[in-house]
Amino acid sequence: MPKVTLITPSKEKVILEDAIGTLMEAALDADVEGIDGDCGGVCSCSTCHVHVAPEWVERVGPPNDAEADTLEFDERTNSRSRLSCQIELKDELDGMVVEIPNSQ
Amino acid sequence: MSMPPLNDTFQDARESSGVLNCPFQGKEVAMILRHRDVRTAAKDWQTFSSDAPFRVPIPSEEKVRSVRQLPIETDPPLHTGLRKIVEPFFRRPRDPDFRARIERLIEGLVDEAIDSSEVETVHEFALPLQSRALSYLLNLPESEAEEWINWGVHVFRDGDGPAKGAQLDSYIQTQLDRAESKPGDDFFSALTQAEFDGHRLTREEMTGFANLTFAGGRDTVINTVVGVIAYFGETPHALDELRRHPEQLKSATEEFFRILSPLTHIGRVCPNSTHVHGAQVEANERVALTWASANHDSEVFEAPNEVRLDRKPNPHVAFGFGPHNCLGAHHARAILQSLLQTLIRKIHRIEILQSIPKIEVEDRYQRQNGYEILRVRLLPISTQN
Ligand code: HEM
Ligand code: FES
Repeated sequence: MPKVTLITPSKEKVILEDAIGTLMEAALDADVEGIDGDCGGVCSCSTCHVHVAPEWVERVGPPNDAEADTLEFDERTNSRSRLSCQIELKDELDGMVVEIPNSQ
Repeated sequence: MSMPPLNDTFQDARESSGVLNCPFQGKEVAMILRHRDVRTAAKDWQTFSSDAPFRVPIPSEEKVRSVRQLPIETDPPLHTGLRKIVEPFFRRPRDPDFRARIERLIEGLVDEAIDSSEVETVHEFALPLQSRALSYLLNLPESEAEEWINWGVHVFRDGDGPAKGAQLDSYIQTQLDRAESKPGDDFFSALTQAEFDGHRLTREEMTGFANLTFAGGRDTVINTVVGVIAYFGETPHALDELRRHPEQLKSATEEFFRILSPLTHIGRVCPNSTHVHGAQVEANERVALTWASANHDSEVFEAPNEVRLDRKPNPHVAFGFGPHNCLGAHHARAILQSLLQTLIRKIHRIEILQSIPKIEVEDRYQRQNGYEILRVRLLPISTQN
């Protein structure tokens, strides 16, 4: 099970050990500031937006189509943006770091 | 569902031109139909403005209310500050204790319905459910809901419009008077104490917030609750399927919002003349953001007319999109998730006894958006053993 680090909008570091499911679900379980997951992970709310740390972007991969469309409408989007509900926590992501942008 | 062929009434226009020009109150309104266009327009408040008292809803509501609804009938940056005032109340449904209370409420109503041999779900189930749940959201005594239940399904449009609007208004004034003299932890007290831009809200502004809170989440929630019950009545295997896959509760909830799209569309006013897909919109005329059409766009949703309770991703716009996206969405989601949870735990089958659809009839389209009457029998799981 991967260990992941989230940096909250107030720059606090939260480390999730043995995270399972999607990154959004794991963050919700741990009550991480800035991840709301309003739509339960179906790509309609964009309240689970993260910026993947530069060195992890390649391994995490690009957004899927519906995700990219939703991100396109979000002012906080940059080349490292993902919706964390679309990131499945697999072992390859052990050590991953993401930043949570300020809410809109 | 008994919804097709009425449920995606916009398909031809959406696919051929992307716009349906439909007269409302004698004036043509360009209804924007495609998912991408609706999302783009909803974000572009400079071109498609909400700064238009009474004219954001279509048809417009100057005859049925006398205040500008807040924060919906404003644009950023004013809108951003106004929305913040009420946001804490609308976030209450995220609290597990709040959810537990909603669940108990729904359980009680379901048990009651099981015990009576039949229930008319619009007036005897969904209306009391919506009203009592709203009393939790606004942190008011549950007994207040009994008066709201008497107002009927739509606070303005059930029968005698203007008279009803006045009734809501006088209720709001009574509550604001009470909150001013004896403030508590409720929504009205929060309005009387709120500061904005260094000053207290005016009575008119407070009334505008309260008016929208009572109007916005009423028929929408009722139509969703009844729509779900109707769907399971007509599609019994779906209830069993969800029972076997409770992990789909959240995606099922979102799929019901998408497929039912209880708010068909909402208006925006164009301060300057503009074009939408070749349709000319003159300055000060309106367009409609057609959520119900966007939610059936086959560019985005595979088999859009199918109800797929495990649909993921599901970027629906039933709650709108952009700065005005629905403040009541947490509340509506809490209600629907609890309803699904309770139904799969307690109900074996739903038998439909009488069904009268409610149809939105306009000059260029018709769409079922709920039920006037839906009488059912709820058969509990235990009697089947
Ligand atoms: C299934 C139920 C519901 C649906 C489908 C729905 C739909 C919508 C939509 C589409 C909008 C966007 C309007 C626009 O862009 O101009 C909206 C806004 C709003 N809704 Fe809901 N709604 C629902 C339930 C509720 C509830 C339960 C409440 C309150 C108790 C509520 C209160 C509001 C408010 C205050 C706004 C305005 C937000 C703003 O202007 O910033 N809604 N709703
Ligand atoms: S949780 Fe809504 S988009 Fe990710």
